[in-house]
Amino acid sequence: MLNKIKSALTQLGIELYQIEQVKNESLECFFVRKNLDLKRSTSTEDYTVTVYCAFEKDGRKLLGSSQTNVYVGMEDAEITEALKKAAYAASLAGNPYYELYEGKQAEFVPSTAKVANQPLEKSMEAMVGAIYAEDTREDVFINSVEVFIARGTRHIVSSAGVDVSFGTCSVTGEYIVQCPAPQDVETMHPFSYADADAEALRAEVKESIEMTRARAQATTAAPTGEYPVIISGGNVATLMRYYLMRSDASLVYQKISSFQPGDNVQGEDIQGDKLTLVLKAKDPYSNEGIPMEDRTLIENGQLKMLQGATRFARYLGIEPTGSYRSVEVPVGSTPLETLKSGKYLHVITFSSFDMNPFTGYFGGEIRLAFLCDGETVTPVTGGSISGSLLEAQKHMTFSAEKYESADYTGPFAVKIEGVSVAGA
Amino acid sequence: MKVQESVFIRQKKPLLLKLRDRLLAEFEYASILAVDCKGRSYSVSGRNVSVSEDTRSGSRGFVVRVAKDGRYAEYSFNALSEGDLDKVAEDIRAVAEASNLTLPEGLRENVYEIHPGEETVFVGSTELDVDPEALGDEAILSRLTEIKDKGRAISDQILDFTARFTWQKYSKLFLSREKDMEQNVLWATGGISVMAKKGQEIKSHGHSYSKLGGAELLDEMGEDLESHVQVAIDLLQSQRMVPGEYECVCDPATTGMIVHEAFGHGVEMDMFVKNRAQAAEYIGEYVASPLVTMHDGACSAQQTATYFFDDEGTMAHDTIIIDKGVLKTGISDFQSARILGTEPTGNGRRESFRRKAYTRMTNTWFEGGTDSVEDMIGSIKYGFLLQDPSSGMEDPKNWGIQCMVSIAREIKDGKLTGRIFSPCVLTGYVPDLLKSVSAMSPTVQLSGSGMCGKGWKEWVKVSDGGPYMKAKIRLG
Repeated sequence: MLNKIKSALTQLGIELYQIEQVKNESLECFFVRKNLDLKRSTSTEDYTVTVYCAFEKDGRKLLGSSQTNVYVGMEDAEITEALKKAAYAASLAGNPYYELYEGKQAEFVPSTAKVANQPLEKSMEAMVGAIYAEDTREDVFINSVEVFIARGTRHIVSSAGVDVSFGTCSVTGEYIVQCPAPQDVETMHPFSYADADAEALRAEVKESIEMTRARAQATTAAPTGEYPVIISGGNVATLMRYYLMRSDASLVYQKISSFQPGDNVQGEDIQGDKLTLVLKAKDPYSNEGIPMEDRTLIENGQLKMLQGATRFARYLGIEPTGSYRSVEVPVGSTPLETLKSGKYLHVITFSSFDMNPFTGYFGGEIRLAFLCDGETVTPVTGGSISGSLLEAQKHMTFSAEKYESADYTGPFAVKIEGVSVAGA
Repeated sequence: MKVQESVFIRQKKPLLLKLRDRLLAEFEYASILAVDCKGRSYSVSGRNVSVSEDTRSGSRGFVVRVAKDGRYAEYSFNALSEGDLDKVAEDIRAVAEASNLTLPEGLRENVYEIHPGEETVFVGSTELDVDPEALGDEAILSRLTEIKDKGRAISDQILDFTARFTWQKYSKLFLSREKDMEQNVLWATGGISVMAKKGQEIKSHGHSYSKLGGAELLDEMGEDLESHVQVAIDLLQSQRMVPGEYECVCDPATTGMIVHEAFGHGVEMDMFVKNRAQAAEYIGEYVASPLVTMHDGACSAQQTATYFFDDEGTMAHDTIIIDKGVLKTGISDFQSARILGTEPTGNGRRESFRRKAYTRMTNTWFEGGTDSVEDMIGSIKYGFLLQDPSSGMEDPKNWGIQCMVSIAREIKDGKLTGRIFSPCVLTGYVPDLLKSVSAMSPTVQLSGSGMCGKGWKEWVKVSDGGPYMKAKIRLG
């Protein structure tokens, strides 16, 4: 198929292009209580071709681009037609000219994950086993489970010399924990790992079961007011995405973000912990075939660089780094138990925790939180928190405990002063 | 005119029939869904022009469902030629038998009585006025550029102005022993968004357009640009909401989000099967004000979630979920309905051929009433007019609601004061909110510009809406 596409591009005289080939296979299991309800497998091969067109208009040098799908099994004439359409579209979508990323041919980089190197069934058994190993009680139990084990390859070829390929793996899914008494409640737990990390999943499930039991005890919302709020787990990762997005060259070029290297991104007069954030290369290459490496984005509150794909990096005159999705934040020095001193509201789960990178506002409805009035800790549910990271980032305190997921490694919890709570 | 059939599906059908017959010789149930989905997205802003095939939703492929000894299995794939048939059959057999998969001790596999469904032969296509493919990229970009230029010229306070348009055409073929069904559907969505900036903070305001149809939607775009630009500028002066419970008037889009998030997810009957929805215990009971009548169904309205049959071969329905405040029924996929002993309602939907079918909403909306918007606002001593909802999350088990709303316009002594509060988190207990509904305006508006996820994934096109609605709502 790859050769067919290349041949069609040549015949059409298309000189600038990128082809991405993605092959995937997966095994998926769906459980209701302790019963396997449906098993699925997938096997797919997909091609996306980006066609570029360099031209001049009103004395300005422009580069347009357009993407098209090319489907496995397409006849030559159909491929030619799709590429011709894309080339025409590219000639209409002129943006300021930039040089494509120039790469080179490299050997296939295999995934070292267990998922890539053992039968999918083995990985499935490990993850399903991890979930149900903790499902040992009558009063709180696993209601339902979905597990997706996937692996494949990505191959990126461009007219600018890129020819790289690598193995990919993912282990994702969700489980629901139910506790029927004293009130019938559930909590939902999506998970995402780079490999079949059964030990980490089992630990998550164990904690989720305890959390759900606590939620069954929670009947009221916290009183309306302002609280020191502790956010934990994956919600800390959501909060950190603000910095990842604001440092993206595309947002800086569009003046949506004013981040510049050297800026103190947490503002002046920081009373809490200063943030250090490292971009983690989870794949060997970016979507454009740029070799990815770990890079320090923020050090002690100061922005060290901007990151992003070729087009907007070229516009800003910086090195294209590829777009990152994974970050690592060093843990703080304050143990979680110390963060929990005095009055606080520790939100364990939200129905959905939202972080708006444009406005800096964050918020969500509370499904379970622990409210401490200074002495007594009470489980609460309902109501919501809302705040602005632009204000909150000056007084964040990170926990010494660590949390890991597919795209985040860092403090398990962060305490933020003066967060507004709409409660009872 | 009618949406054209897919040449790809027409060409593959003989091979798919051969595959179906081969599978039926081996399995007690076998169905095949073939999908050919293509679309194009256009965007024009001050700093970017783009036009591309919608590579996220565009797809061609197949999903086979089989049952062996009452156990269901599925296989999704996209390579199919005469020479692939043996491999496809082998792959399906492998997942159905799952001989290499050992379940942990204490787990077993569900065994179901197989219900093949009613015999159905069907071919249908939706209507359009202007074929976006025939209109072409240049004309579409030109129209969007015109709207963008007009928007940007309104004020020098705005950071950027974007005009967008997307269309998607999909063709589906469903084959089983009993069914041979084909449909061709086209929908279009468009939108404008305005960005304004003050310091580090960006405020944006958008307006969306959608319809079951084609590029004729472009003619509906571009009105009231001044007012949308002014809203973005006004948002820069917006204030933080003081948490509390207020009397509110919801615009049709906010009503739609409440319908969808508050109650729609809670009546998806695959959640009844898992004992994950409180609604299952309230069938036949008052769950809302008598002013509330709620519909869902792919044929309940002409919008972006309209289709003729779902991804399991069940014909579309118009389901009345709440009738004058009383919960009548939920919505369901085929398998959930069979387990629960109810009729399937044509709500079995897949994100794509790559994914499992779940019970999903389609066009979901509240019927209108008899009250005027002016009277609703006039009756409020202190409260808010809620507009521009952005996102929401369901909680079917505990009937919690969370919606984000971008604009809360202050109402004092029955009049809008001009003050805006933003953003707002709308929360509460669903029956409390729905029972507090005290007025509905006559005109129903649906918007189909958004996508809906189930939990954190499985995105499908939906529409929702209703009339202006007055209710008591907790805001934060």
